Amino acid sequence: MATSKLQALWNHPAGPKTSSLSLSLTHTHTHTEQVHFWAPTFKWGISIANIADFAKPPEKISYPQQIAVTATGLIWSRYSMVVTPKNWNLFSVNVAMACTGIYQLSRKIQQDYLSEEEEKTPVEG
Amino acid sequence: MSALKAFLNSPVGPKTTHFWGPVANWGFVIAGLVDMKKPPEMISGNMTGAMCVYSALFMRFAWMVQPRNYLLLACHASNESVQLYQFSRWARAQGYLEKKEPEAQQ
Repeated sequence: MATSKLQALWNHPAGPKTSSLSLSLTHTHTHTEQVHFWAPTFKWGISIANIADFAKPPEKISYPQQIAVTATGLIWSRYSMVVTPKNWNLFSVNVAMACTGIYQLSRKIQQDYLSEEEEKTPVEG
Repeated sequence: MSALKAFLNSPVGPKTTHFWGPVANWGFVIAGLVDMKKPPEMISGNMTGAMCVYSALFMRFAWMVQPRNYLLLACHASNESVQLYQFSRWARAQGYLEKKEPEAQQ
C-alpha cells in the first residue's frame, strides 16, 4: 500500500524525476513564464541602456565595450537567420544592439579623430 | 591533427556562426576586464546595470536549454562577475556606498 503510493509520487509528471524540459513539454508553464522568453527579451535592456547613453558626452564612451556591443549585435543577427527556425525576435534585438553600438562608436570617433582642429568650438554629434 | 580538422569542419566549428555567436559574447567579458583599469567616472551605470541583469538571466538560460550549454554558462558567469565589480566601482564613485556621516553626504 505504502509502496504503491510512493511509486505514484515517484512517477508523477511534476515529481522528483521531472526535468524542467519535460515540464515545459507538458505546458505547465506558459512561454512568458520561462527563461527562454525573459533572457532574450531582456537583451533589449542593453540597447535601451545604450540609447540612454546617447546623451552622455563622448569622452565617457568606452571603445572596448561598444566594439563588443556592435560585434555581438552583428554576429548574432546573422546567427538568428541561420538557425532553424529563423528567430526574428533574436534578429531584431541584435540589429538594434548593432545600430546603437555603431552610433556610439561614430560619436566617439568623430570627437577623437575628426574634430582635432576645432577643440574650442562645440561640435554637433 | 585529424581531431583539429574535425573541429574546424564541424557544424558548430569556426566556419559557422554557431561558433562565433558565443565567442562574441566573450567580447563583453574582455571589454569589462580592459575597462577595470579606467577611472570610475568613465563607467556607464546604465550599461553596466543592464549587463548585470542580462548575464544573470542568460546564466539561467544556458543552464535550462537543451542541451545544457556549459560554455555559455561560463561566459555569462564571468561577465556577471566583471560587471558586478564595475557596477560597485561606479556606485562607490557616485557616493551610493558611503556610510551615513553626520554631515549629509550626497
